[in-house]
Amino acid sequence: MSALSLAWMLGRPGRGRRAPLLLTMGAYALVSALVLTVTAGALSFTRVDNELTGMYLMLAGLAVVLLLVPLAVLGAAAARLSARSQDTRLSTVRLLGGTPSLVVGITILESSATALAGALGGVLLYAAAAPAVGTVHFQGSAIGSAMWLAPGIVALVVAAVALIAAISAAVGLRKVIVSPLGVRNRTTTPKPRWIRAVVVAALIALVSLAFSMLSAFPSLAVILAVLLGGFALGLGALNLVGPWAVKVIGNAKLRKAEAPADLLAARMILENPAQAWRQVSGVAMTSFVAVVGGSGAALMNTAGAGSDPGSPDALLAADVMTGVLITLVASFISVACSTAITQAAATLDRADLYSGLHRLGLERATMEKARVGSVMAPVIGVGAGAVIVSGVLVFPLAGMAVIVAPISVGIILLTLLAGVLAVRGAVALTAPGGVPRPGNSG
Amino acid sequence: MIDANPAPHPAADLAVHPSPAPVLSARALRRAYGSTLALDGVDLDIRAGESVAIMGPSGSGKSTLLHTLAGIERPDSGSVLFTPANGAAREVTSLGETERSALRRGSFGFVFQSGLLIPELTAVENVALALMVNGTPRAAAMPRAAEWLAALGLGGLEERRIGQLSGGQAQRVAIARAQVTGAQVTFADEPTGALDSGTGAEVLAILMDSTVGRGNTLVMVTHDAEVAARCDRTIRLRDGRILAGHDPAPAAGSPRTAIPGTAK
Repeated sequence: MSALSLAWMLGRPGRGRRAPLLLTMGAYALVSALVLTVTAGALSFTRVDNELTGMYLMLAGLAVVLLLVPLAVLGAAAARLSARSQDTRLSTVRLLGGTPSLVVGITILESSATALAGALGGVLLYAAAAPAVGTVHFQGSAIGSAMWLAPGIVALVVAAVALIAAISAAVGLRKVIVSPLGVRNRTTTPKPRWIRAVVVAALIALVSLAFSMLSAFPSLAVILAVLLGGFALGLGALNLVGPWAVKVIGNAKLRKAEAPADLLAARMILENPAQAWRQVSGVAMTSFVAVVGGSGAALMNTAGAGSDPGSPDALLAADVMTGVLITLVASFISVACSTAITQAAATLDRADLYSGLHRLGLERATMEKARVGSVMAPVIGVGAGAVIVSGVLVFPLAGMAVIVAPISVGIILLTLLAGVLAVRGAVALTAPGGVPRPGNSG
Repeated sequence: MIDANPAPHPAADLAVHPSPAPVLSARALRRAYGSTLALDGVDLDIRAGESVAIMGPSGSGKSTLLHTLAGIERPDSGSVLFTPANGAAREVTSLGETERSALRRGSFGFVFQSGLLIPELTAVENVALALMVNGTPRAAAMPRAAEWLAALGLGGLEERRIGQLSGGQAQRVAIARAQVTGAQVTFADEPTGALDSGTGAEVLAILMDSTVGRGNTLVMVTHDAEVAARCDRTIRLRDGRILAGHDPAPAAGSPRTAIPGTAK
């Protein structure tokens, strides 16, 4: 029997799999709608032709690329959830002699089909939101009908989402072992080393130096190019230091832990800091975008306040601020979706243990508090850390922005706070429901 | 906060015999899953200090009986009276979810086939957690947990994760966790089911020593007749009923004192 027919037979939405399937499809729908919206917004910049069009397209492209990272993380998480919710079925396929590659094939097909269905839903979502998003002003006028993408581009985005889901599924499956006796996570967990922190410190020093010389650069375009270069280096630095930083946060929490929930949360973080980092890396990235992009935009707005509001430079300043806010919102929605998916998979992973611990008398509230703590401690720690690190990176810019454009900075910080709350909401959404029922084996 | 149970001293020779007072009294327990009766009017008394094995074929209701006695499940009808050594008797089935959880944490211990140990925690943390959820500060819980591990032959393995322990060692951690709070009644569901015979015998000996050997009560579901033979008496279930003649009344003076346990 082919992987395709097996995938269809095993992947039909039964009662037990409805919740994870809907969650995964919903997540793909949201992300697809976001990608379509941002792509439409990016392409809308081609409607005005002036000396800054190239700059607009570069910034819009950067926003699109930024969204691909949480999309890939989401895809890998969705694949893991898919494998977990298929646990018994995939194990049975293996037990009956199915090869590991057949299982990979089934999972990839199912993930792609789920992503495709989600992406098609995303197209509807994008179409529903387009009139509202079209009222956003860029380059001095509303985006309007430019929000409507050509059907070919929509099809391309839908196909790309399904393809990324397939690739992420294959990558995600490397993290689990599907054996004839069940599905379990691979236990090899790389331990982050302190040397990463040293490399990152050197990178920060380098970028800080470049940024401190910004005033020496003659044009806005060069300044933006330096900012973007620093931005890319900063993101790389964040990914290097991330797992190590999460480990430090986990160790600090472990030392202070007095309540059972804190002890559990700390150990859950330390079990696999790299995985905990992946879950919150979007928060770090978004915080970084918020500080670097936000500071730049706030200053550009202030600098352009005296000039002709219709001039390309003044419009660019206002548009960068709008773009930063949109990227923040889109990025946080992706992060919240990834968190929901990852937590749903984790809850399925631990269903037997949760049920068993409840039988032993451990309150659900304790287990839930531990689960929330294991996500939110890294989110808050990493988010705050990213804000501080990026603040140091662009210290002159950030400092000036706080002084001369406090309202803009305040808006950015509020958006960050709303994003953290969105992640918290996603964790709450995936709380194990009801009191676990004991089995009746005998 | 409850008092931590001191670890057993290797030199202690506690020849404890069951007292006549029932610590658990079940009356007319009925529990149905759809059209299947898992418990069909079970009456049972279990005295403080005795060990009772519950046997029966799959689907006979033995796990349901264990869960109902322990307050994990509520029966459709009937009652379970728990009479602690120092304290007022409590009707378990009438307690709310939170109260039953508290009862399980404080007065009962559990050893299941799968161990149900938390993989992220170390061995000593798994044991200490049982004290911490009852309000013992971590600083006091950790050394007490380590004492229990040492007493059960796991000295030096305190910082190991559960995945780094053998099946027998993990089950000893589960026993330490069940006993560290001073559980008056320990419920075990196939505690040696996943172990080879040699390791199973060792784990069973440790389980008996740390429960009935200290004057506490052990209720154990098992498929293994040799394991059941180590208990003071064996109850056999079929189709949710205790089989007549399979709740033997021990001879006077022996630990197997007669206990009324009837089938309907």
